[in-house]
Amino acid sequence: MDPQLTSIIVPSEEIAQIEECLSRLVEDTGSDYALLLDKSGQVISSKGDGDRQDITALGALIAGVFASSREVAKLLRERDFRASFQQGVRENIFIALIEEQWILCIIFNKGTHIGLVKVLTKKATDELAAVLERVRQQHKARDEVLGSAFRTSMEDTIDLLFRD
Amino acid sequence: MALINVAAREIHCKIVYYGPGMCGKTTNLQYIHSQVPKEVKGDLLSIATETERTLFFDFLPLDLGKVRGFQTRFHLYTVPGQVLYERTRVAVLNGADGVVFVADSHKNKMQENINSLRELAQNITRQNKRFADFPIVLQYNKRDLPPEVLTPVATMDHFLGVNKMNWPRIEAIATKGVGVFETLRAISRVVISKL
Repeated sequence: MDPQLTSIIVPSEEIAQIEECLSRLVEDTGSDYALLLDKSGQVISSKGDGDRQDITALGALIAGVFASSREVAKLLRERDFRASFQQGVRENIFIALIEEQWILCIIFNKGTHIGLVKVLTKKATDELAAVLERVRQQHKARDEVLGSAFRTSMEDTIDLLFRD
Repeated sequence: MALINVAAREIHCKIVYYGPGMCGKTTNLQYIHSQVPKEVKGDLLSIATETERTLFFDFLPLDLGKVRGFQTRFHLYTVPGQVLYERTRVAVLNGADGVVFVADSHKNKMQENINSLRELAQNITRQNKRFADFPIVLQYNKRDLPPEVLTPVATMDHFLGVNKMNWPRIEAIATKGVGVFETLRAISRVVISKL
């Protein structure tokens, strides 16, 4: 099995730590929302006010923006843009990269100072980088999670839903 | 690489439709979006120019529901096909679990197909993945073209290296939906087998 194709499995314990970290970040900065994304655009966890319905699309777009700015960085012979800031009239978005694998995104309004967001995001990215490291080191056999019974059921579901 | 969230019992997979400009990548997604049940699909998001050419990507989330207790989600993306957007394709390809390569069956498009597939190989390799092991399905689109401009399947197989690479290959007419779901089933199966 090619390790590059191995799935990232985030166990319950690490998810709990991620959620705690995001909640604290939202609370301490007074932000509206914090999201942790995988670089592929998938949402790992999100915390904040209310229940956003558009979170999947938001994840895909933010990861797209980040991936595209990475290509810009390469053209400028810059190693990477570790963070980016988008300023709106009401809402702002601050995005920070965690070890080339995850993306932390904070949505906040003008009541929150960008300086505070930057400082506390830095602290949060360090924490999350440690969580990511633990996730990577766990060689939890994927067969514990996804056995052959899962694959068979999955194939049946695919045939059922994706039919002409 | 797929993401498995054990606490929320969720599995996410990313599938990217790749290929030269105007080969029918967006059409594939539009057809899927028009046909799958409401409870399975999310909104189809397109970042396109005013002439409906894909500028960044199209995005279609599909929620397959619970499979053995796991909420399973497939995210389908297309890349912009035009040569100009090479770097954008690299960005969209980031973290993909599988690729559908849509080839245009028009005789004049064969060289573009070959160039695009070659570029895909480079981009996959740059992500430190082995191209030979990467989940890929080929779709020969526009099989309804008039015979005088239609490339025979055997010729496409030869130039795109299908026999050598052992890729599943499906003939399609995406505008009419022919072969679209067969392609989606094929790539889903390959991706699941490599999870």
